[in-house]
Amino acid sequence: MSEQKLQSQTVQTTGHAWDGDLQEYNNPLPVWWVYTFYVTVAFALVYWTIYPSWPFGKGWIGGVSNITYVNSEGETKTHSWNTRALLMEDLNKAAAAQKPYFDKIAGMSYAEIAKDPDMNGFILSSGKALFADNCAPCHQAGGQGKIGFFPNLTDDDWLYGGTFDKINETITGGRHGYMPAFGEVLTGEQIDDLANYVASLSGIGHDAAKAAAGNTLFHGETAACYYCHGADAKGRQVIGSANLTDNIWLWANVPGTDSAAGKVAAIRGVITGGLNKGVMPTWAGRLSPEQIKVLTVYVHELGGGQ
Amino acid sequence: MAVTTYSGAEQYNFEVVKKFAVMSLVWAVVGMFVGVYIASELAWPFLNFDSPYFSFGRFRPVHTTSVIFGFGGSALFATSYYVVQRTCQTRLISDGMASFTFWGWMAAIALADFSYVLGYTQSREYAEMEWPIDILIEIVWVTYLILFVGTIMRRKQPHIYVANWFYLAFILATALLHTFNNLAMPINLFSMKSYSLFSGVQDAMTQWWYGHNAVGFFLTAAFLGMMYYFVPKQAGRPIYSYRLSIVHFWALGFMYMWVGAHHLHWTALPDWTSSLAAAFSILLLMPSWGGMINGIMTLSGAWDKLRTDPIMRFMIVALSFYGMSTFEGPMMSLKEVNALSHYTDWTVGHVHSGALGWVAMISFGSLYHMMPKLWDTKMYSRKLIEWHFWLATIGIVLYIVAMWISGITQGLMWRAFDQFGNLQYSFVESVAAMHPFYAMRAIGGMFFLTGAVLMAFNMLMTIRQGKRESAALEARLAAKLAHA
Repeated sequence: MSEQKLQSQTVQTTGHAWDGDLQEYNNPLPVWWVYTFYVTVAFALVYWTIYPSWPFGKGWIGGVSNITYVNSEGETKTHSWNTRALLMEDLNKAAAAQKPYFDKIAGMSYAEIAKDPDMNGFILSSGKALFADNCAPCHQAGGQGKIGFFPNLTDDDWLYGGTFDKINETITGGRHGYMPAFGEVLTGEQIDDLANYVASLSGIGHDAAKAAAGNTLFHGETAACYYCHGADAKGRQVIGSANLTDNIWLWANVPGTDSAAGKVAAIRGVITGGLNKGVMPTWAGRLSPEQIKVLTVYVHELGGGQ
Repeated sequence: MAVTTYSGAEQYNFEVVKKFAVMSLVWAVVGMFVGVYIASELAWPFLNFDSPYFSFGRFRPVHTTSVIFGFGGSALFATSYYVVQRTCQTRLISDGMASFTFWGWMAAIALADFSYVLGYTQSREYAEMEWPIDILIEIVWVTYLILFVGTIMRRKQPHIYVANWFYLAFILATALLHTFNNLAMPINLFSMKSYSLFSGVQDAMTQWWYGHNAVGFFLTAAFLGMMYYFVPKQAGRPIYSYRLSIVHFWALGFMYMWVGAHHLHWTALPDWTSSLAAAFSILLLMPSWGGMINGIMTLSGAWDKLRTDPIMRFMIVALSFYGMSTFEGPMMSLKEVNALSHYTDWTVGHVHSGALGWVAMISFGSLYHMMPKLWDTKMYSRKLIEWHFWLATIGIVLYIVAMWISGITQGLMWRAFDQFGNLQYSFVESVAAMHPFYAMRAIGGMFFLTGAVLMAFNMLMTIRQGKRESAALEARLAAKLAHA
């Protein structure tokens, strides 16, 4: 500091003055500043040698750093440093870490998987990633589904069955739920009766007289609901028809309203319009059988596996 | 050695300087309030009120435009008009043009903010204004350029003071950047909507050529101009080195233009472009520090002022943050560091250490220096300046520390793989981990905003005091004349 003071006293100003007292010393450039700048120049030159840097002709100078990776065709490639090759290298590493587990799970039964804690750790980790990439867009991040669109996977209500084999079958082959529109064949009054009956099955507030009439329609040949939903109205998993007695709703937004009339109206809407949107795509071909197996266990463990 | 005489207010156009100085603080309060609000939205999302008009996406450009162009821009207009007149010893060449730049600039910012809330945006960061507002800015800016160059040409001093080089570089570069980044075709003459002339990766490259040079010339060179006048003035000492100022001026101007692509590491931009920019960012480190050295060394021999002069403290803290963020920036521009920092809050923290620490602090210091001279009185309260200094400094530290922690946490969480070769965390888990730091950041912002409000109050009272004093003076003068 004192040295600095001394310097300032001996160094001359440039001899100009502005706005009264504004002047400039003419101190030389600080030596450390100049040398640090030279160091950054050296750094830049090294950096440009390692990484791709300057454009040259129709291409660019690739730099001395190389990356080796295996592409999606299984071919090994070496390329001068670049972002995409680096990504491939990262993905290769991840795939290599996953491979022994996928190889092992291929030959394991579900019972064996359940007893293998290491494999369970793998399924929790891989299943979460696979589920997030492939299933969550419809079934939501936690598998809770969305009323009116996609089934909840965390409860114990299964349209097509909740055993390992059934879940695997669903993921592999996809599903297509269908219910005809009864608005075309039944009168409004009949549909109202049916809706009241269906509400009564789940203990929802309803008109008892209408429900009784609905009961007759349900089990008779006019509406013939029992064909698909069964005489006990508990649904048939072979064809994916819904259990109407458990107060769990997918298509009719019954929980969405507090009023009994509103709930009955929601049911009436489904009966009137039918359903043709319960489409789940097939994942065979998009996911490997081992990945589907991981997802099967993962979905089974979400809450309601049977 | 030619020592020039101290010149009174009649000689210069201080009217426009006063207007810009006042509006600078008005925009500071508005812009920082919106900043605190959106920071709070991130911490406590109910503040969105499920309304598009309150959403982060619309308020964010209101915040950036109000603080960068409203507060920073007005402070630059005010100080550049003040400095160019005093160091050239001449009045601005046209009062009409000066007044036009004021009203035009205010209209542009008000219209821009209003249009964002209504949902109009070019979606170009820091250049969100749609085409009609861009044209208004273009006209204002060319007027500013003519006024500034004209005034320098009419100077009564043989030499152009260093602050004016920096201001001029800023005005020229901003004209260039604004023009080319906003080349767009409106969908029709009566629509606010337009499409960029560039597409894909060229569009991104143009945007960040603009974006980084807005940082380089608007938020750095221009405020260095401020520093080169107000630091030696406040310290009462000559600038440390004329030679250093020349070397770092040209080095800064040359290097900045190359580095925009470091904002686009790990994107579709060709890799050679981004590593070229990364190395130039490292080369930029020492040229940036040249300004800091020149500012801080100017104080050598007058360090005691730091104890006694709160305005000097604003300036030194500003220079320190300038040095820190111009070190941090080049580090973050290296590809491997950027792999961790990109898209995280670290970037947000870095921007704010520059914007709050450097830009806002040097502006506060300069405005505090200027105010008593503009209104010909003393500052209303020195105590409030002290309070402002500490609130602002604590606010910045809270803000930056919060963003460092959350940014590095995000970066680490996003790329953590578990032993099974899968990503360890989902994105939403990283969002949840951010919550305490978002709250801390919002609180830091509140500190900073409170300081700005104190300053606005202090300015208001100073202006009233100045008016009262000049009225009293005139009354005494009139009484004397009546007796005579």
